[in-house]
Amino acid sequence: MQVQTHVDIHSEWGIVAARQAGRKLAREIGFGSVDQARVTTAISELARNIYLYANKGQIYIEEATSSGKRGIRIIATDEGPGIKDIRKVMEDGYTTSGGLGAGLPGVKRLMDEFKIDSELNEGTTISAIKWLR
Amino acid sequence: MEKTKLSMYQLYKDMLNTYLDSKSEHALYAAQQFSKEMMEKDMSPEEMVSLHMSVFQEMVPELPEEVVDSFDLLLEVMIGYGLAYREHQSLRDRQRQLESELNVAARMQQALLPEDEIHAPDVDLGVLSVPAGKMSGDYYHYIQDDHGCIGLAVADVIGKGVPAAMCMSMIKYAMDSIPEQRLQPAALLESLNRVVERNIDSNMFITMVYGSYDPRSHRFYYAGAGHEPGFYYSKKTDSFEELTTKGLVLGLSQKVSYKEYVKNVEPGDFFVLLSDGVTECRTEDGFIEREQITDMIRKHIDLPAQEIVNRVYRELEKMQDFELKDDFTLLILRRKV
Amino acid sequence: MNLHIDIKEKAQESLVSLKGEIDVYTVPKLKEELIPVTEEPNKHVIVDLSGVNYIDSTGLGVFIGALKATDQSGSTLKITGVNDRVRRLFTITGLDEVIDIEVNEREEA
Repeated sequence: MQVQTHVDIHSEWGIVAARQAGRKLAREIGFGSVDQARVTTAISELARNIYLYANKGQIYIEEATSSGKRGIRIIATDEGPGIKDIRKVMEDGYTTSGGLGAGLPGVKRLMDEFKIDSELNEGTTISAIKWLR
Repeated sequence: MEKTKLSMYQLYKDMLNTYLDSKSEHALYAAQQFSKEMMEKDMSPEEMVSLHMSVFQEMVPELPEEVVDSFDLLLEVMIGYGLAYREHQSLRDRQRQLESELNVAARMQQALLPEDEIHAPDVDLGVLSVPAGKMSGDYYHYIQDDHGCIGLAVADVIGKGVPAAMCMSMIKYAMDSIPEQRLQPAALLESLNRVVERNIDSNMFITMVYGSYDPRSHRFYYAGAGHEPGFYYSKKTDSFEELTTKGLVLGLSQKVSYKEYVKNVEPGDFFVLLSDGVTECRTEDGFIEREQITDMIRKHIDLPAQEIVNRVYRELEKMQDFELKDDFTLLILRRKV
Repeated sequence: MNLHIDIKEKAQESLVSLKGEIDVYTVPKLKEELIPVTEEPNKHVIVDLSGVNYIDSTGLGVFIGALKATDQSGSTLKITGVNDRVRRLFTITGLDEVIDIEVNEREEA
């Protein structure tokens, strides 16, 4: 049975709530403390992006399974301005140089799978999975 | 991976034990070596913190709760450092890739310069061009026709590095497309200007000096497009004269005409063409004076032309503490007999 | 190495005073501020270089860009306060024939 937690992001409180929910599920699935912190940081970054660029959006956190593997899936979705040049925001050094934090390349590095979908003026959906080793 | 983690665990545990026992510098040195190994194995800072904590907890099972909990905070902070470290690694890889691409481009650029030597019993040619970075915005050219007439040029694209280098290749191809004007400096510059004007960005321009030497009449014709003046050395009077030319830089407006100058060349006389990387050379005491360049040339005046340019370069390189600020090109053509 | 840019806009005139060095490092900033001024229609753009002791070739490039922009917008470009070293650069490149340049009267050594 799949459990899905859903957190509305429209303030910094939402970011903390999403972190909390993510850490809790990661612990339940059986992630160690380092991976728990990684998953939480990834959620943080995704939630912050929503808050900073789209003002509001949703974070969904759920257990992921695939051919015997278990893991945690994070989906971040917003109806914000969208990303004009995805290749550029996925480039190392693009967002971090401005002091904006780990950015999307950081999230990709923290997680095992990463998918991004964005339409200008329609919004952005990012889905990322961390597998249990 | 799991196996390395296990052996790392054991290694770290032994190290920590030794240190807590002896507090020796030796153990600390071992830790320093260990950190290198960690980095080679791609262990992140957060994994290191977690390793420390689990080893420590095993050694001292009754740790106060505050100590254990405080590591949560450290771990969280280290994630950020770990990301920065990974990003640094990936940027370093990308830099290596860019650098190797640049190396290829630089070799291609080198191939645009003339290769064959001038074979003429009565003239001596020396030229040296050194880019400040990997690629050059300077260009030089020389060519000899069937009558032994020699055409030569030094061009300088504004700026330096890759953009300047791309522009430089345009000059080369443009020159190749107008071979019939090789011995008419002013006409050649006029044609080149039209090509450059059509193909260049509005903030860019190119300066160029073009000269041609006719060994039958011993005359040197030259024209310049906004280029740093070179020198003419007269052996008879043992003096240098500025090779001043009037003419607008290439690429600014469609219709420009250039004035052609001519000099009678006596045995031992020579011409110096250069880019502003030679004269705009900046040392600790400010810019060097143009006389300093002629003094350097004079010092080696009895050497072959190629030796003179090499030595002037070496001296200027030293004066700038081996850090070239701009592309450097120096060319000397001398009438021997 | 720094460049200070001060722009005073009047009805018919824009006075751009520069102080420092104009080289590869300061050119992007200069371009960003000077070019929009030269794109305004029917203005006299005056660039005061009396605080500038060094310009390299990329710096000259900006003035060429500025000249082309004023030609397009029906404005004029004038450069004042050039010292010997800077004037020499404008003379060698032939730009003194296409840009209106007023030589610094208080010539400094």
